[in-house]
Amino acid sequence: MKLAVFNGSPREKTSNTTVLLDNFLNGYMTNDGNSYELGYLANEKEADKNIELFKEADRVLIAFPLYFDSMPANVKTFIESLEPLCLRSGNPGIGFIIQSGFPESDHSMYVESYLEKLAKRLGCKYSGTVIRGAFETIRVPFMIDNIFHKIFIAGGKITNMGRVGHFFNTEKLYKKIYRLGMTFGKTGEFDKKIVQQLAKPEKLSRFGSCLFRFVGKHLYWNILLKRNNAYDKRFDTPYADQ
Amino acid sequence: MKIIVLNGNPDNKNIKFDNYLTELANDLQKKNHGTKIFTLRDMNINHCVGCFGCWVKTPGECVFKDDSAEICRSVVNADFVFFSSPIMMGFTSALLKKANEKLLPIFHPYFEFINAETRHIKRYKKYPPIGLLLENNERTDKEDIFIISEIYRREAMNFKSSFSFTRFTSDPITELAHEISRI
Repeated sequence: MKLAVFNGSPREKTSNTTVLLDNFLNGYMTNDGNSYELGYLANEKEADKNIELFKEADRVLIAFPLYFDSMPANVKTFIESLEPLCLRSGNPGIGFIIQSGFPESDHSMYVESYLEKLAKRLGCKYSGTVIRGAFETIRVPFMIDNIFHKIFIAGGKITNMGRVGHFFNTEKLYKKIYRLGMTFGKTGEFDKKIVQQLAKPEKLSRFGSCLFRFVGKHLYWNILLKRNNAYDKRFDTPYADQ
Repeated sequence: MKIIVLNGNPDNKNIKFDNYLTELANDLQKKNHGTKIFTLRDMNINHCVGCFGCWVKTPGECVFKDDSAEICRSVVNADFVFFSSPIMMGFTSALLKKANEKLLPIFHPYFEFINAETRHIKRYKKYPPIGLLLENNERTDKEDIFIISEIYRREAMNFKSSFSFTRFTSDPITELAHEISRI
């Protein structure tokens, strides 16, 4: 299978989407005869190349982070550039991966409808949309490790607690995405069961919400704010006229 | 009433779309509503690169200086924001989306749980209600309009305000101006 993979993250190579795709593609490549080409949609210089990649592929995969309830602007620019290819015979099959910072996959419900309709509009066989929430939290273990490192190692005590953050089990998530890539590499389809697992929770429980809000505030935003000496300014309202 | 129109028409040859907005603005001015149109394609607006600098480095402001600061200021002080765009491939233009994403500084990184959903908390006390103005084309159907409207309804949830309506450039201007002035 010849796959064209489009990374739609504005953060490009240093994005969470890249981490997700790396795991997916490692799984995908375990099948003999598979190949892929990667295009970055935030790179405007590659716009023409990306259209060519789309045209020449057997299948297309577009992965992006959820920005304001839909695809980032650069992904939409790419979609607009595909307009001349609508209903062209020989268009590739198409699938999508959305990862979002919010923990519930329901945030992506309507953009998923949009993507399904887009496949129809292009005349591409639709392989489905994988949705994974809370993906920014893959950055949390490193932040916690940093804190422990500072307290225990930089403080003079040698401990092995430098990897305490990895109690957040991202490896399990990555393995799931790897297996998703593996089955996709064999069948050209997403494994429905894994897709369902990844999309959980569609809605968050009250307890889940408390946990997410705590981790988000104290183990992510506040650490970054303090690191940048911006903590005291966190509620600033520079554009208020009154 | 202070009204902001974000003109997401990327094509300066599509004069009809721009003219509709100009006439609408004139009508609203006559009703004593200050109306400002931002013609996004003529503005210098970078893409949001997802750095979160506007939340954790210079809270409330984008770290990359461009014309989006002016839009942010106008939006937080407006009484109504009208997102407008021709429908392109079943959605609003990439141009409008680009400007939309640069509104991130007016929100706050912390989370809250409302209507059983995780959302970001307010940075400002009040945000204006929003509406959506679309230019239809022959490749658009009811399902497209439904999907676009639902996504902008979610945008109003980001604003913690309300979604007023989806209207079309085929609607009579005087009626639309009347509707807006009743918001």
